[in-house]
Amino acid sequence: MTEQERLDAFNAHVASGGKVEPGDWMPDEYRKAVLKFVEMHANSELMGVLPEREWIMRAPSLKRKLALTAKVQDEVGHAQLLYRVAEDLGKSREAMVDDLLAGKTKFHNVFHYPTKTWADVGVIAWLVDAAAIVAQQALRESSYAPYARTMKKICWEESVHIIHGRDVLLSLLNGTATQRAMVQEALDRWWGPLMQMHGPPTDPTKDRDLAWRIKNKSNDNLRQEFLGIYVPRIRELGLTLPDPELRYDEASGRWLFTEPDWKELYAVVTGHGPMSQQRLAFRQMNYAATQWVRDAMLATPRVAA
Amino acid sequence: MMSPEFEVRGARMKTGTPRTPNPEPRTALAELLLTLADDEFVLGFWDSEWTGIAPMLEEDVAFSSLAQDEIGHARVLYEILAELTHDTADHIAYGRQPEEYRHARLLDHSRTDWAFSIARRFLYDTADATRLTVLANSSYAPLAGIVGKIRREETYHRMHMEAWVKRLAEAGGEAHQRLSVALETLWPDALTIFTPFDGEEELLNAGILPEPLMAIQQRWLGEIASFLQPLGLPFPFREAGGGRYTPTFPITMDSGRIRHSDDFRWLWNEFTMVYRAEPGAEW
Repeated sequence: MTEQERLDAFNAHVASGGKVEPGDWMPDEYRKAVLKFVEMHANSELMGVLPEREWIMRAPSLKRKLALTAKVQDEVGHAQLLYRVAEDLGKSREAMVDDLLAGKTKFHNVFHYPTKTWADVGVIAWLVDAAAIVAQQALRESSYAPYARTMKKICWEESVHIIHGRDVLLSLLNGTATQRAMVQEALDRWWGPLMQMHGPPTDPTKDRDLAWRIKNKSNDNLRQEFLGIYVPRIRELGLTLPDPELRYDEASGRWLFTEPDWKELYAVVTGHGPMSQQRLAFRQMNYAATQWVRDAMLATPRVAA
Repeated sequence: MMSPEFEVRGARMKTGTPRTPNPEPRTALAELLLTLADDEFVLGFWDSEWTGIAPMLEEDVAFSSLAQDEIGHARVLYEILAELTHDTADHIAYGRQPEEYRHARLLDHSRTDWAFSIARRFLYDTADATRLTVLANSSYAPLAGIVGKIRREETYHRMHMEAWVKRLAEAGGEAHQRLSVALETLWPDALTIFTPFDGEEELLNAGILPEPLMAIQQRWLGEIASFLQPLGLPFPFREAGGGRYTPTFPITMDSGRIRHSDDFRWLWNEFTMVYRAEPGAEW
């Protein structure tokens, strides 16, 4: 088989829904594309821990304390699983963490923003995780088999987070006027980043990740799917969405909305978001402060004095 | 370190006002439950601060589980107490002033570095294991009942901490040094886990507490001496004969669960911040 025949056979295999295992032959470009995709996903799980982590110490009841700690723990676990998938593709976890901390690789836009109130805990767990799960459910069909398998576990846990987040918001909405206002204020702040989260529409014929079925749905379709499920659920709770143009268009069968601010998205994911540098600095500081532990774990044990 | 408002009860005791004897074991039982629950609650909070930033992802997940176990144990203990005092677990956990908490002084320190968190957990988990072994025989059925469940989880905590202490000690160098410093710092405060309290006598008579706290403390010291010494880690006690250990440092047990530190006040401010924002609200 010539190199070209091999490549054609690979492309035909993945295009028809075939899976790729780590030991299988794959074009170097495919390997790099999967690595980049999974690495950013892993980075996002790891950085996504920080905004919610700020509230672990402030959770206002025993039940919330347990649920939030468990939720953040899940995200750390997801980062661990995803870095393992990425490692098989030829980049060590240390190298990935180094690149993340050096600002060389990216993480999702939503984790570059500050949290301000307890309602943010609810909005993040309900809607950020919901927007993520729409994308992640599609990734269960990814052509890269270890990634697809990992996404099955992750999706299951994310669905529990969504229940937790909605429950946090329901308690607030059934509470005092201040608590209700807290939810609306948080929703107003998060809506812009949520609309940007799936990324700008891409030309499907040029989107290599789609062609290789590393992902299976376009950015725009993911956003449509998210809106289709969650706009009615948000409104059902008596909340208002801060976009006067947002409506479902029967004729086209699509949601119409104010064009998300793609300049903001680009600025944010390239490290210019309101919290980008603080969050990276916080990670760098903690990573440096615990380096001696990792060194000790790798050291050859010696008999103590 | 101690701020005046944290010394309310301690100050009263120091001025010599006689303690009012507890009229019934019910009050003493409430005090015992509160000390147990507050220990778990406060430790769970400090350790949950590692969630997301522990030295490695595997340990991050493990340490979060430990923290959640402690909060879970605090919850069941507060629930038993709430039934006794016609209160709610959340109100007891979140609705008190800082000086009303009854955790041991060991839990008054912030998490500090990894060696410090490991050293504290090791001291706490081993002491707690010995304490729970005794409480499993309590005549107070609700307590004896849940102690069984708690012990199963605490067994894993102890094993996990023993593995960490051993690993850091055997790595030598900076790791051994940091762990030694942390243990030196924490030893005096670790003893306060067994601070005798008002009404202990009544609990002993009623069989609610099957053994005096100071006796449990001695048993615990005996159990960990042989673990720490071969690792070259601090165990600042002299064997006084008859298997008794006396510390080689001055101890102040009296206010061990009453006076709290600025670190704890910071923690209290954090964990009650949202709770206090809307008094009486559900979250």
